[in-house]
Amino acid sequence: MQRSVMTTYQEFIQQNEDRDGVRFSWNLWPSSRLEATRLVVPVSCLFTPLKERPNLPPVQYEPVLCSRANCKAVLNPLCQVDFRAKIWACNFCFQRNPFPPSYAGISDVNQPAELMPQFSTIEYIVQRGPAAPLIFLYVVDTCLEEEDLQALKESLQMSLSLLPPNALVGLITFGRMVQVHELSCEGIAKSYVFRGTKDLTAKQIQEMLGLTKPAVAGQQGRPLAPQDAAATCKFLQPVHRVDMNLTDLLGELQRDPWPVPQGKRPLRSTGVALSVAVGLLEGTFPNTGARVMLFIGGPPTQGPGMVVGDELKTPIRSWHDIQKDNARHLKKATKYYEALANRSATNGHSIDIYACALDQTGLLEMKCLSNLTGGHIVMGDSFNTSLFKQTFQRVFSKDYNGDFRMAFGGVLEVKTSRELKVCGAIGPCVSLNSKSPCVSENELGIGGTSQWKVCGLNPSTTLGIYFEVVNQHNAPVPQGGRGAVQFVTQYQHSNTQRRIRVTTIARNWADAQSQIQHIESSFDQEAAAVLMARLGVFRAESEEGPDVLRWLDRQLIRLCQKFGQFNKDDPTSFRLSESLSLYPQFMFHLRRSPFLQVFNNSPDESSYYRHHFVRQDLTQSLIMIQPILYSYSFHGPPEPVLLDSSSILPDRILLMDTFFQLVIYHGETIAQWRKAGYQEMAEYENFKQLLQAPLDDAQEILQTRFPMPRYIDTEHGGSQARFLLSKVNPSQTHNNLYAWGQETGAPILTDDVSLQVFMDHLKKLAVSSSA
Amino acid sequence: MEDMYVKPGNQERGWNDPPQFSYGLQMAHGPQRNLLNKRPPPAMTSGAGAPPAAPPSCNPLAPPPCAVAPPLLNPAGPPPGAVATPPPPHLGQMRTKREAAISQSESEPEVEGVMSVLNGALAACRRAVKAQVCNDVAKRLHLMEDSWRSGRLSLPVRRRMDTLSAELQKGRWDAADDIHRSLMVDHVTEVSQWMVGVKRLIAETRNLSPELLEPLQKVRGPVEEEPDSAEPVQDPVSES
Repeated sequence: MQRSVMTTYQEFIQQNEDRDGVRFSWNLWPSSRLEATRLVVPVSCLFTPLKERPNLPPVQYEPVLCSRANCKAVLNPLCQVDFRAKIWACNFCFQRNPFPPSYAGISDVNQPAELMPQFSTIEYIVQRGPAAPLIFLYVVDTCLEEEDLQALKESLQMSLSLLPPNALVGLITFGRMVQVHELSCEGIAKSYVFRGTKDLTAKQIQEMLGLTKPAVAGQQGRPLAPQDAAATCKFLQPVHRVDMNLTDLLGELQRDPWPVPQGKRPLRSTGVALSVAVGLLEGTFPNTGARVMLFIGGPPTQGPGMVVGDELKTPIRSWHDIQKDNARHLKKATKYYEALANRSATNGHSIDIYACALDQTGLLEMKCLSNLTGGHIVMGDSFNTSLFKQTFQRVFSKDYNGDFRMAFGGVLEVKTSRELKVCGAIGPCVSLNSKSPCVSENELGIGGTSQWKVCGLNPSTTLGIYFEVVNQHNAPVPQGGRGAVQFVTQYQHSNTQRRIRVTTIARNWADAQSQIQHIESSFDQEAAAVLMARLGVFRAESEEGPDVLRWLDRQLIRLCQKFGQFNKDDPTSFRLSESLSLYPQFMFHLRRSPFLQVFNNSPDESSYYRHHFVRQDLTQSLIMIQPILYSYSFHGPPEPVLLDSSSILPDRILLMDTFFQLVIYHGETIAQWRKAGYQEMAEYENFKQLLQAPLDDAQEILQTRFPMPRYIDTEHGGSQARFLLSKVNPSQTHNNLYAWGQETGAPILTDDVSLQVFMDHLKKLAVSSSA
Repeated sequence: MEDMYVKPGNQERGWNDPPQFSYGLQMAHGPQRNLLNKRPPPAMTSGAGAPPAAPPSCNPLAPPPCAVAPPLLNPAGPPPGAVATPPPPHLGQMRTKREAAISQSESEPEVEGVMSVLNGALAACRRAVKAQVCNDVAKRLHLMEDSWRSGRLSLPVRRRMDTLSAELQKGRWDAADDIHRSLMVDHVTEVSQWMVGVKRLIAETRNLSPELLEPLQKVRGPVEEEPDSAEPVQDPVSES
């Protein structure tokens, strides 16, 4: 049976994602730098380093490395092996390496796992036995309303039951002052108090907490070695030893006792509290997996890192203030938190922020704490909501082996064959400034390095990695016909083992002049959309919004010029092949998304949305770009429908998933039937089932999504229908309604450009001979 | 099952707060059955992109009665095999907590049975574990007993404590520990003050040598099916 190239590629792409956690924008690589540039979308990939692989048991030995000092690639299935001479050739630098003595018994029929093609991804356990335990340091704002504080205390108590018994746990509380609590199994609770207004150096903090060894005459105190720290640090203790006292301590936590005068905000020393937390871990457990969990109910209002003053009449900065350069504390606070984030990242500690308040809490200034350290950001209205409680529980969720879905201290290294260089990465990571030969001079994202640190990872953590083809034009297609990339991820597993996961992939080189159609059909438009979107979001952090949109538009037009089929200056003749057919639509929705538009979102919300966008895997990222819409009706099984106002019909129920929100929308007729109570009557059992079907599907999503999405059950004319109406393509508006019949879809009251108009312009520009 | 439920979110404190799933339900959840991740191809390469014609709408006055062949709503067969997880429990709808509790109205668990097992376990621990830890545990068991006797524990909590003590007595530590976790997740407000004592008791008891555990197995707990067997072990802790 003849199958289309497209189908074949789709299967290939899916297999590669399932096995290696990799999705490349192009699955055939253009063989020269010039041709690669002309493809517009760079050769790049989304890589999920710890993708869950239930059928991949780790091997219990060390990886074999290439002996060339500046290569050190890991032995993999792409290496040529001489079994008789017991020699392998590195597929990256072509160095010939002898096998280590323990491989003496290998042969053609007795191969180690790492040589078998099905182990293109393999995981090594390189350290067995006990290691440093996981560390969880709670940093708790006590300037909360009573109800919120109570709910938070209960969630924290609950979490002690979810932690592994040998995990170390610590508690810092703060309001006007910062308190570091000594934990012991004895009755008396002691704490060390810091003023919330004074910026302290790491050394000062460590001295004040007694974390340095007593200074020998003439010498300065030195931080304790980790093993000493474990034994002596009274601020971080094993859960199983202190859980009873800590439960009581949490139970007795009171709201910050300092009076808050009318018209003032409570004084909240978030900056100093975090500085103490980072300093504490730095002095006791550098380079050991640790999580600072910050819980806040409002913005920092005093001391270093202050985001807004305590006068309520001065509102917290808005986008408008920022654009008018009228956000007094923005730069200073951001700089302060960036310095803390970088220190934390250097030590391999990640920082989570759980911000629950109705107003902004300063996520814009503090986002780097989580973005640079692989920590979570969760944003909710109150700690007494299911959204916070369940999201927090899911931080401690476990995999099929009963291990936590969290890993620490990750270092991702990328190695490339000679014709390829790495330009950068976009994700929850920092550069390790490793200048290996495979680093490109052209930076995309966090560049200038071939190694990145990812302090906190989970199975869905995904990085965008961007490459550059460096082979010269007219040079022959490189040796061997294909290029290769190796991803080496070293990390601390949640069971505290050190592990190394190695993924080695290869793609064929293609001559872009004679094989452009092949290259085109190897295009993974979903991956490409997410990878370009990440570049856009990365730019949006430093550039003006309209500039980013213009850049994105230009890339799209160039891509359409390159791959569209058309007659010059005839827009109606424009066609895109199947492998690019969805791409313009993704870009259309991306332009409207909260990742690039700040209208209607606070600076905190924008930071929050972008935080999640640059770390999720392909499927979730794509949902964020273009929400999923399913339609339920009597006409057949539930079906995906266009994210378009024409899909809003009276006799349909719609389920929309935007990642952050789940919306169930009942069409006008359905809503009337529901109101009339038909679902209660036995003869309309099928109507009852129809109402139930989207609820069941929504529940499926709700049970797995992290963070918990908001859940909206609405109907035609309902005020909350706006969540659906603002996302669909406004193909029918009040402006063009006359063009359609009355019964097709719902007009949207907007002056936004519709996909149809967008496409018309795109075609016009793509086919224009002057463009 | 009373430990499998969904209750509504807190709409007063959070706009569009999602429903809350019980611990049991979260744990039983296997891989997602119905991946909703498809998008229909756009119609735009073919010109103006007219909206799809709406299929003939049925009588808007009433939904089609069942006689009209009921539509197949969930034709997705069983989840693709291989994974040996139990199928997720099908919830007819997002049931409320109250409904779930009503569906489970069996015998009322007895505080005496539960306490005698817990105190028995504590008695066993006293021979091996530091006195201070045991006293701390005892204090919390008292708190629990007080809450129970004064009617401050809901039926689901009492029932799960009953099962927990039974598992503890049978030496099924993991099961007992899992019930403790489910109580902390689902009923933290009711149990947070004293549950940590039960948690510690489970942890300490599982470390005891078999000889020390023997008396515990003879305690008349909630698992005893036959009303005979040894007389209740004198409880040395209850006076402390």
